[in-house]
Amino acid sequence: MSDLLLPTQIDLLHVSAVILLIATFGIVVRRGFSDWLHAYRYQTIILAGIVALIGFITSIWELYIVSALTLGIKAIIIPKVLFYVTKKLDSPIKLEMNPYVSLRISVIASALLVAMSYFMALQLPISSDETISVFLPVSFSLFFIGLFIIISRRKALSQIVGLLTIENGLFLFAVVVTHGFSLIIEIGLMADILVGVIVSSILLFRMSKTFDSIDIENLESLRDD
Amino acid sequence: MSDFSMLDYGLGIFQALLIIVLSPLIVGIMRKTKAKSQKRIGSGIFQPYYDIIKLLRKDEIISDQSSWIFRATPWINFVTTASAAFFIPVFLVYSPFGVVGDILLVVGLFALGRFFTMLAGLDTASSFGGLGSSREMMVSVLVEPALFMTIFVIASFYGGTNISTIVSSANDTSILVVPGILFALIAFFIIMMAETGKLPFDNPSTHLELTMIHEAMVLEYSGKSLALMEWSHAIKQIILFTLFVDIFLPWNFVEQISLIGISFGIMLFIVKVSALASFTAFIETRVAKWRLFRVSDLIAMAISSSMIGVIFFFL
Amino acid sequence: MSENLSIVYVIIAFFSLGATLGLFTRGQKYHAYFTYIPSAFASFLTIILSLAIFSSENIHLTFFNIQHLFDFEIFIDGVAAFFLLIIGLIPFAVSIYSLSYSKKFDDKKNNSALGMLFNVFIISMILVVISNNVFFFLIFWELMSLTSFFLVIYEHENKNNLKSGLTYLVMTHLGTGFIFASFMLMYAQTGSFSFDSFRDVTIIPQYVKDIAFVLAFVGFGTKAGMIPLHTWLPKAHPSAPSNVSALMSAVMLKIAIYGIVRYLFDFNAIGSSSDYVWLGVGIIIIGSISALVGILYALVENNIKRALAFSSIENIGIIFIGLGLSVVFAAFHLLSLSVLAFIASMFHTLNHSIFKGLLFMTAGSIHYSTHTKNIEDLGGLIKKMPWTAMMFLIGSIAIIGLPPLNGFIGEWLTLQSLLAVFQIPSNILQVSLAFAILAFALTIGLAGATFVRLFGITFLSKSRSSKAINAVEVPRLMLIGKAILASSCVLLGILPFIGINLIVSAFDLPYTPSSPFETISITNADGSNFASLLMPAVLIIFVSVIVGIFAFVRIIGGKTKTIKYGTWDCGFGSLSERTQYTATSLAEPIRRIFGIFYNPYNDITVNSYAKENLYLKKSINVISTTRNIFDEKLYGKIISGSLFVLDKIRKIQSGKVNAYILYIMITLIALLLFVGFGIHE
Repeated sequence: MSDLLLPTQIDLLHVSAVILLIATFGIVVRRGFSDWLHAYRYQTIILAGIVALIGFITSIWELYIVSALTLGIKAIIIPKVLFYVTKKLDSPIKLEMNPYVSLRISVIASALLVAMSYFMALQLPISSDETISVFLPVSFSLFFIGLFIIISRRKALSQIVGLLTIENGLFLFAVVVTHGFSLIIEIGLMADILVGVIVSSILLFRMSKTFDSIDIENLESLRDD
Repeated sequence: MSDFSMLDYGLGIFQALLIIVLSPLIVGIMRKTKAKSQKRIGSGIFQPYYDIIKLLRKDEIISDQSSWIFRATPWINFVTTASAAFFIPVFLVYSPFGVVGDILLVVGLFALGRFFTMLAGLDTASSFGGLGSSREMMVSVLVEPALFMTIFVIASFYGGTNISTIVSSANDTSILVVPGILFALIAFFIIMMAETGKLPFDNPSTHLELTMIHEAMVLEYSGKSLALMEWSHAIKQIILFTLFVDIFLPWNFVEQISLIGISFGIMLFIVKVSALASFTAFIETRVAKWRLFRVSDLIAMAISSSMIGVIFFFL
Repeated sequence: MSENLSIVYVIIAFFSLGATLGLFTRGQKYHAYFTYIPSAFASFLTIILSLAIFSSENIHLTFFNIQHLFDFEIFIDGVAAFFLLIIGLIPFAVSIYSLSYSKKFDDKKNNSALGMLFNVFIISMILVVISNNVFFFLIFWELMSLTSFFLVIYEHENKNNLKSGLTYLVMTHLGTGFIFASFMLMYAQTGSFSFDSFRDVTIIPQYVKDIAFVLAFVGFGTKAGMIPLHTWLPKAHPSAPSNVSALMSAVMLKIAIYGIVRYLFDFNAIGSSSDYVWLGVGIIIIGSISALVGILYALVENNIKRALAFSSIENIGIIFIGLGLSVVFAAFHLLSLSVLAFIASMFHTLNHSIFKGLLFMTAGSIHYSTHTKNIEDLGGLIKKMPWTAMMFLIGSIAIIGLPPLNGFIGEWLTLQSLLAVFQIPSNILQVSLAFAILAFALTIGLAGATFVRLFGITFLSKSRSSKAINAVEVPRLMLIGKAILASSCVLLGILPFIGINLIVSAFDLPYTPSSPFETISITNADGSNFASLLMPAVLIIFVSVIVGIFAFVRIIGGKTKTIKYGTWDCGFGSLSERTQYTATSLAEPIRRIFGIFYNPYNDITVNSYAKENLYLKKSINVISTTRNIFDEKLYGKIISGSLFVLDKIRKIQSGKVNAYILYIMITLIALLLFVGFGIHE
């Protein structure tokens, strides 16, 4: 398959990988809740595009459906739900005020994580298919940046966004390496994520009602001392 | 490379003069774009020329606390920026002075000008000047890593820090293939905004101590000195724009010298640079001035972007 | 060559003459002339000697032969000659400077000791460089350390100086210990104390050479002030009299570099083994950290001499980066790049000697004239001391690497060799070394900020205290001393090939030296120009632009008047010296951003008029301090740890005679047992 790729197709692969990374960095550099959601939405739209692109290259028609599902559920419904929750939150300041790791350090740390992902992808004994060599490190990067977002931020919403980023990374990994699971599993996964987001939104909402903030430090009081 | 004819050198000097002469025009275009996007009419695009000529004819007042550093700074600024203009290809694919100095020399020349500007800010014993110098110190220190990292990406990819080499190999390649260069572009754009004192970093159109950086340092200047300061700032800006255009939008440079080719090249240069200038000005109207200590976040973005550029380039 | 050898004798004779005369003409009117003119003359001869070695063959001879252990061998090859040039040039300028500067100590009763130690210090450095034998190398090394120690505590009335002298003594002996261990390791393999046997690299196994190099690197690095063994440097250099600080910073640190260069390129065959990749990377990492951390501390320092000392750490870091790159490139058999990085490193070595000597002498002039080293008390000196200001400006522009002075060439070459890391055939190394550029670039930026701050606060705006108001220009001889080095800065900046040719012929590099007007150029494999630099042409462009713009302004602008008036004060009345930016406030933004290194701490005390009403404030005092994390976290822990251990050990010293006899008995029995078992085996 890799022999048949046209130069323009390779260009498209590279460029889409770059844009995906830039969108992911959008989550890292911004502080506002709605900024994250916007960045997440862009990220997912590009992801859907990449899935369609891989579908086009490999001519597996199921990937088009997966792409459309991604677009519908992850790029439209999930951000809608989260936007709704954000609007309903009590606290007037919808910003990450003082994360554990300052923004400038986290940007540079994320860049280092990207570097690390590339090194790791080089070490893996996976076939040197063009799509894999382009997207595998990117999916690792998404995974690690998502983890880093969860580690370094205080607000519960950023935890959700971090989780979604990780999910996007895994999804990309699955699509690139195996060209998609079977369609049923894919739909199940999507539904799972949707339910997960709705549940965590409800939790977020309850948390904001109980503690007047969505700072996850409040959860420390749940510990049984 | 070394055997250039007199015509080449003449064209090289012409390129430098073009940069020096056109620089106020770009400032005018940027002001006009800003005014338009703020629903104002704004002054004409040739207004900066009238300003410079008017200022050159005015008497000047200098502070009685100041020393020769204060008086020499406008001249040094002009000399460094105008000398840097000699190394930049404008419409030709090379500059005959490319063998004299490279992009690191251009960066060094800018740094020399900035060194004296910061000293001049301190020279007048005014607290405004010190304030400007202190902030400029911070911004310039932070920009440096991003700048050198970007230069590294560009130099590794295009095979040189010699600007003529960079432009001629950029002219031969199509840009979409290189993700590393895309990240370098983002980094360079942020650096450009920081170095020319554009909005998220510095608001050049106010005289409020909360926002000013560059203006605070040149606050005490008047007359001829002010004209030279403004002009050299404009030259620095157009040089950075030209470098951006040269490296990232390198199409249709003149390789064979002919009259039609050159006039077409000049037209294309003016169109590209004014488009970039308008775009920058448009961005400026869309963002607010960032708090001073958040500026470092933006520069961290530039640094990490150039770092990813390096990663993309090598892996 | 016999003439060259006789020059060596004359040099030694003149330094001894200076030392003796210095000691015995105490209290005489022309005391300073008796002391420093011989040293100036001998230093000048040292320059001639090194130039003669460049153009003729090496000197190599053995003086006396006692059982092959203690023979005094001297060996002056190109490497030694290059460092002799530094030991000639800087002390020459400093000696002239000292003719006037030492008058500062005329009323001190041990003025003569200063002159004596000054001469002995220089001659010990020369002897270190030319000796070719472990035993004498270490003797002269120790002589150098001890004389410099006495010079550091020369102003021993100040308790702080004694304390820093003690730190210096301890650290320098730690370094000597490492060097000694390294030499012993080499001796164990070769069985000879002569450096000639060390050069015979084939008989020593690679791992031994690696260990010996690491030990030597730590030892010499301590002397050079690499992080984290730098702690003595910012204490000792400011404590010494300024002419001595100039020598210590500009020359003595280079002797440590000499040791490392000898080890790397003479005792080792770099490029012969892949171990050198990691040694080189290690040197680069230590260099980057030293450069960055050194300049970060220089930036917030208010004591001008201590700021310069921190900046020395930075420059040593830059030299290390070049050396390390050279080793890495050689290990990958990229010979031309290795030569480039090596030239960069040695050029920066020469540069740093010149401008750091210049800057320390200028700092000395400021101290001479204002009796303070704290820049918060200075200001406005450019009107009082215009020539000194000019020299400091030249030194600053040179040290922060701005065109058209020599610092720019050094940093340009170093950057070019850093940019060339993309030719290394290893992805991981490429990317990690590319990140060294980040550190290096940040260092350059911070160096710029540091010297803006030092120059701006010291020389510009209004005087901040009466000390600065009463300052006058220093005597002419001091200015001449500085002018020699300042003009070298300009010369090497505009005609860098003078320096490059010296280095090429000194180290026998595979590179053809050429005329001083040559273009420095680096070409790609396909023949296109990677980078090139032609400083004389830059100067021509400068001049033509100046002429052009001057004519333009005169023609368009016509004749205009210049009026002097007060600085704009927003209509609030006159500005005082207390409203200007201070040194601390100027560095505040950077201090906040890099706070992790400084632990910045503001101690605010508010005095109110009455206890009941805290809103009517009488005064607010802010004491803003920064702390050195290395002193606090690292050395603090080590010192408290060793105090704890020593406290336990002290229990042994009980004061009872019986106990002491017991110790003797235990030792005796232990020794006897040891020997007994040894025999049975």
